[in-house]
Amino acid sequence: MPDAVLRLENVVKRFAGHTAVHGLSMDVPAGGIFGLLGPNGAGKTTTIRMIMNVITPDAGRIELFGGQPASRSLAGRVGFLPEERGLYKKMRVLDHLVFFGEIKGLTPRVARARSREWLERLGLEDWTTHKVEDLSKGMQQKVQFISALLHEPDLVVLDEPFSGLDPVNSQVMKDVVVDIAREGRTVLFSTHIMEQAERMCDRIVIIARGRKIVDGRIGDVKRDFGGSYVALSFGHDAPRAAPVLADRALVSQVDDYGASAEVRLADGADADVLLSRLVTAGVGLTRFELVEPSLNSIFIAKVGPEAATAPAEEVVRG
Amino acid sequence: MDKVWAVIRREFISRVRSRAFVVSTVLGPLLMGALFLMPILLEKRQTAPKHIVVLDAAGGDFGRQVAERLRLEMRDTVTHTIPRYRVERVETEGRVTEVRDSLVALTGLRKAGLDGLDGVLVLTDSTISAGQMRYYGANVGSPNDMQALRATVRPLVMGARLERAGVDPGVVDAAQGNVELTTERVTQGKLTGQSGSASFLLAYVMSFMLYLALLLYGMQVMSSVVEEKSSRIVEVLISSLTPFQLLMGKVIGVASVALVQLGIWAGTAMVLTTYRLQVAGAFGASSKSVSDLPIPTVSPMMLVVFLSFFVLGFFFYSAMYAAVGSMCNSHQEAQQSQTPVTLFVAAGLMLMFSLLSEPNGTMAHALSLVPFFAPFVTPVRYSLSPLPWTELLLSVLAMVAGLVVVVWIAARIYRVGILSYGKKPKLSEIMRWVRTA
Repeated sequence: MPDAVLRLENVVKRFAGHTAVHGLSMDVPAGGIFGLLGPNGAGKTTTIRMIMNVITPDAGRIELFGGQPASRSLAGRVGFLPEERGLYKKMRVLDHLVFFGEIKGLTPRVARARSREWLERLGLEDWTTHKVEDLSKGMQQKVQFISALLHEPDLVVLDEPFSGLDPVNSQVMKDVVVDIAREGRTVLFSTHIMEQAERMCDRIVIIARGRKIVDGRIGDVKRDFGGSYVALSFGHDAPRAAPVLADRALVSQVDDYGASAEVRLADGADADVLLSRLVTAGVGLTRFELVEPSLNSIFIAKVGPEAATAPAEEVVRG
Repeated sequence: MDKVWAVIRREFISRVRSRAFVVSTVLGPLLMGALFLMPILLEKRQTAPKHIVVLDAAGGDFGRQVAERLRLEMRDTVTHTIPRYRVERVETEGRVTEVRDSLVALTGLRKAGLDGLDGVLVLTDSTISAGQMRYYGANVGSPNDMQALRATVRPLVMGARLERAGVDPGVVDAAQGNVELTTERVTQGKLTGQSGSASFLLAYVMSFMLYLALLLYGMQVMSSVVEEKSSRIVEVLISSLTPFQLLMGKVIGVASVALVQLGIWAGTAMVLTTYRLQVAGAFGASSKSVSDLPIPTVSPMMLVVFLSFFVLGFFFYSAMYAAVGSMCNSHQEAQQSQTPVTLFVAAGLMLMFSLLSEPNGTMAHALSLVPFFAPFVTPVRYSLSPLPWTELLLSVLAMVAGLVVVVWIAARIYRVGILSYGKKPKLSEIMRWVRTA
C-alpha cells in the first residue's frame, strides 16, 4: 500500500513479565476512518503509545508518513487524544489550547484564532477565560479533543475517544471525526465498542492479547467471515423462541439481546424454515431480516475465548 | 525551538499569575521593611535610663568615680541621646551583705508601680585589687547591658590601680584614650569605599537568597514534573517534544520566575538602603543611628558573578529536583523523596557560613571546585576578598562540568521516569534507566 500514512512492521513491546504487543503489522491508508479494535488489555493503548512516540517498541519498525517518528519532526502532522485524559487544572481554557497548539508548531496568533473557532463550534465559547478545573468532565474532554485537532493534523489518533461521554457529546464528537475523514484526512481510533466501529470505520484491525486477529475493510471482513445471519426482534413472548433457536440443525450461534437476537444459520439450513417455526411458536416477530454478520458477532467469534481470559491475565501479570 | 519557548512561557505565565507568587513577592519587601524598621521601633520603646545603685564598700574615692562615670554614660537612641543610667551611691560601713539584700529586695519591682531598681552594683576593695565586682539586676540576661557596664568600670579600675602604684592621674587619663579602627576594603589594588561589615552583610544576604531561591524554585520544578506526570498531560507533551526539550523549557521557565522575584526583592532592598534616612525619618527616627548601618554597594562584576552562579546552581539543582519528581507518582511521595537533594542545598549554606571567617583557606579553595557547593561558596568568597581570575574561572568550569554530568543523568532518569507508573523505582532500577535510556 504505497499511500499508507502509518505502517507498523512486526512491532513488539514487552513489559516486565509479559509481552503486550506481539509482532504487530498493519497499514493505515491515507483518508478515512481506521478502527483499532480489541478487548480490554489487548494492547491497543500500548500500540497507540508507540505510534505516538510515548514509548519505544522493543523490536520492529513504525513509519509515519514514510518517515521515522522518533524525531518529533512529524509531530505537527499528528493529533493525539490519549486514553488517560489530563489537562493543567489551573490554566485558563484558551491559554491551555494555545499552549497545545504551540507545541504542535502553530504560532500563538493562529492557535488563538483556531481555539476560539473550535470552542464556539463545541459550545464552550463562554468558558474561554475559566480555569480548566471549573469545567465539567465532559467539557474538559471536549477541550482535550480540540487540542488534538487544533493544528489540523493529517493523521488524528484517538484512544477510546467516546468513553465517558454522554450521548449528546458523543454525537458531537462523532460528527467532528466524520468531518475530518470527509476532508481527506485520516482518523485512527481505538475502541472496544463494536457498534460504534461498525458504523464509522472504513477499515479495521482487531487485536487480542497483542496479536492481530482481523485486518481489512469492514465489508471484506464480513464477507470473508461468511455464513448467513438473521436479525430478529420479538414483539412479545420472546422466551417461546428459545427452543427454536436452540435447534443446532437450524441455528449454529445465537447472540441474544433479550428483545432481539442475531443468529447464524447452521450450514445448509433454510431461513424459510426458521421463519415458519418462529411464527408457529408465536413469538410475535417484529423483525426478520437476512443480514451480514455484525462486527460484534465476528469479534466474539474470533476473540471470544481470549477476550474472556486476557483481562484476568493482565491482573496477574500487571 | 519555538516549542521550548512555548513551554518556557507557559511555566512563567502560569506561575507569575498564581496567588502564591503575588503574595510572596509582596510579602518579601514587607518583611525586609520590617527587618529594617524593627530595631528602630524596638529601641524607641526602651528609652528609660536604668536605675542602679552603686553600693560603695571600696573605700577612698573609687566608688564616687564609678558613680560619676556611670552618670555621664549616654545612650544613642534613634530619636535623641539620653543618659544610660540613673545612679545613686550608697556607702556602707562594713554591713555590705545587709544593705545589699535590702536593695536587692527592691530590684525589678517597677511594674508593681514602685520606683524600684534595675540593679545593684557592689564595689568592694577586691574590685581594685582582684578585679572583682558584682552586679545584681533584672537585666543581667542582656549581653549588651553587661558589656556596657563592664566597659564603663574597667578603665576606672585600671586608673585606680595605677594611682595606687604611684602614677600621676593626668598620665593615667591620657593613657586611657580610645583607639579606633576603621576598615576599608581593597579589591584588586583599588579602594572600594566599602567597609568590612558591609561586604560581610552582602555575602550573608546573597547566599541566603540563593538558598531560599534554590529550595523554593527547585521544588517548583519538581512539583511541575509531578503534576504533568500524575495528570498524564505528559503523554501529549512527549508526543510533540523530546523529554529534553520539555525539561529544558521547564527549568528555564521556572528560573526566569525566580529571577523576576529576586529582582523585585533586590530592587526593594536597594531602594530601602538608598532612602533609608527618609524611611527612618518617616517613622520618627533620627538619621544618625540609621546612617551607622553598613551599606553594601554591589559592583557590576559582583552582580555578574552572583547571577552566573545563581543560574548555574539553579540548573544544577533543579535538574536533580526534576529527576526526583519524575520518579514519583504524587506530590506527597515527591516531598518525601526530595530530602537528599535538599540536604545538599542546606549543606551548601552551612559550609558557606563556616567559610566566612577564612574565605581563602584550603577548605574554601577546595569547596569552590565542588559543583554541589560552589554556587554558595564562590560568590561569597568573591564578595569577601578578591579572587584571582584563574580561580574564578576554574570554579565556573567545575560548575559547568558538574552541570553537564548532572543534567545528562537527570535527563535520562526523567525520560524513563515520567512514563513509569506504579511503585517507586529502586536504586538499581534507576541505575538501569541511566544506563539504557
